Amino acid sequence: MEYFVTFTNQSQGRDRIFRAAQYGSALLIYLLKNKSGRQKLIKKLQSLESNMSTGRKLFRLGNTVSAINAAKRTLHLEDPVLRLCLTVANLNRSLYFLCDNILWARSIGLVTNMDKERWRVHASRCYFVSLLMNLTRDLYGIYQAMEREAQDKQYRQKVSQHRSDGRDVACVAVLNLQTLLLLLYHSLRCNPSILLDTVKNACDLFIPMDRLGIYKTNPGVVGLCGLMSSILGILTLMKPSFKLKP
Amino acid sequence: MDSWVRFSSQSQAKERLFRAAQYACTLLGYTFQKSGASPDLVAKIKQLEAHMSLGRKLFRLGNSADALEAAKRGMHLSDSVLRLCITVAHLNRAMYFACDNVLWAGKAGVVRKLDQDKWSQRSFRYYLFALIMNLSRDVYELSLLMEREPRGPKGSSACSSPVSESREAAPGSGLDPNALPQRLRAQLLLLATVLRCNPPLLLDLVKNTCDLFIPLDRLGLYRTNPGFVGACGLASSLLSILTIIYPWLKLKP
Repeated sequence: MEYFVTFTNQSQGRDRIFRAAQYGSALLIYLLKNKSGRQKLIKKLQSLESNMSTGRKLFRLGNTVSAINAAKRTLHLEDPVLRLCLTVANLNRSLYFLCDNILWARSIGLVTNMDKERWRVHASRCYFVSLLMNLTRDLYGIYQAMEREAQDKQYRQKVSQHRSDGRDVACVAVLNLQTLLLLLYHSLRCNPSILLDTVKNACDLFIPMDRLGIYKTNPGVVGLCGLMSSILGILTLMKPSFKLKP
Repeated sequence: MDSWVRFSSQSQAKERLFRAAQYACTLLGYTFQKSGASPDLVAKIKQLEAHMSLGRKLFRLGNSADALEAAKRGMHLSDSVLRLCITVAHLNRAMYFACDNVLWAGKAGVVRKLDQDKWSQRSFRYYLFALIMNLSRDVYELSLLMEREPRGPKGSSACSSPVSESREAAPGSGLDPNALPQRLRAQLLLLATVLRCNPPLLLDLVKNTCDLFIPLDRLGLYRTNPGFVGACGLASSLLSILTIIYPWLKLKP
């Protein structure tokens, strides 16, 4: 129980649990939609989802400042690619939070003359760009890990042994692909934090893509992706070694 | 900005901020209503207050576990009075949070046909008991410090004596019954000195006293008005934020 208390004492910890519950509810609603006799349960799940969404929006007030602070920190990174990706990602996150705060004010009736749809699209767009930059950073991280792995002596021995078994052109081409995939597998296995972050961002990407109409799926897929990325987010909080740095 | 990030990353800190905002809305709503402001504005403020209340209830899900852990820790204190007060206070807090979670489930629509009033009364009753135990603890600490405090001109500055060190009772001196007002004045002066030299105790005492008016009003034990309740809630939230920003101001254990 002490562990649970420490975990939930972190502001992010609670938010991740509620996000998982929110997207879990969305997924369940989609799965139960066409089943008869489940209307009451669906209504309850809809209430729960909406309540979690509004509550989380309330607690996100002020996150714009945190995101700008994160952008200031990433401006000092040495690696130019990381510096660019992370700073732009954090700046877009801060804009997303700003739009989110405005949508919260609209949802509780503080602000009335406001085009809710337009601000939703703004928020989704900023979120989408932020995720793209994070994925770019992940791909760069994977590329660097693969380079490091390729220079590793033990690994090179394995590959040359593997290559010496095949001779003709087609075999060589297939072997090259196999080598690449093997390299990718080894790199990801030795860097679980990059793997986790990539999968998390890839799952999250479906949410704004659906909202913006870039790649329409359905509420079930959005719910499932949101749930998976929230669970992965909870994992990185529970085991800080899984968190990708910087 | 760094300090804001550190502050807001604590779950409790943001919750206290929203508590302050919620009670500020209560106070503002009452003030505007009394001064005849537009009903639209009053309705907006009430709606904001309701949203803050529901949002805070959501984020309090799981606080029962926190309170139970604190009660477990309180059971190992050496001083028996402190042990009793703190453990019982935390247990009542845990019950309060449990009732609060049920209220959230009712308001969020997860549980239909919930008697909101009954559960609200229950939660405020536990909250009141917790506050009474906290105040008892404060009064106990205060009495220990006052007994320990040196009297008369020989007494050096009392400010070096922290609360946790005072466990011995100083013998009382024989007093002339005709000097009652003088004795009372001396006691009050002693009280003021002790409180001035122990800011954590003073803060905790004022905070608990302010908080006490909230369940007293809601349970009908001492009716005031929404404005007064709002002011008390706002004051106690601000004091609580102070103890988060300056951890040395937090009364220990």
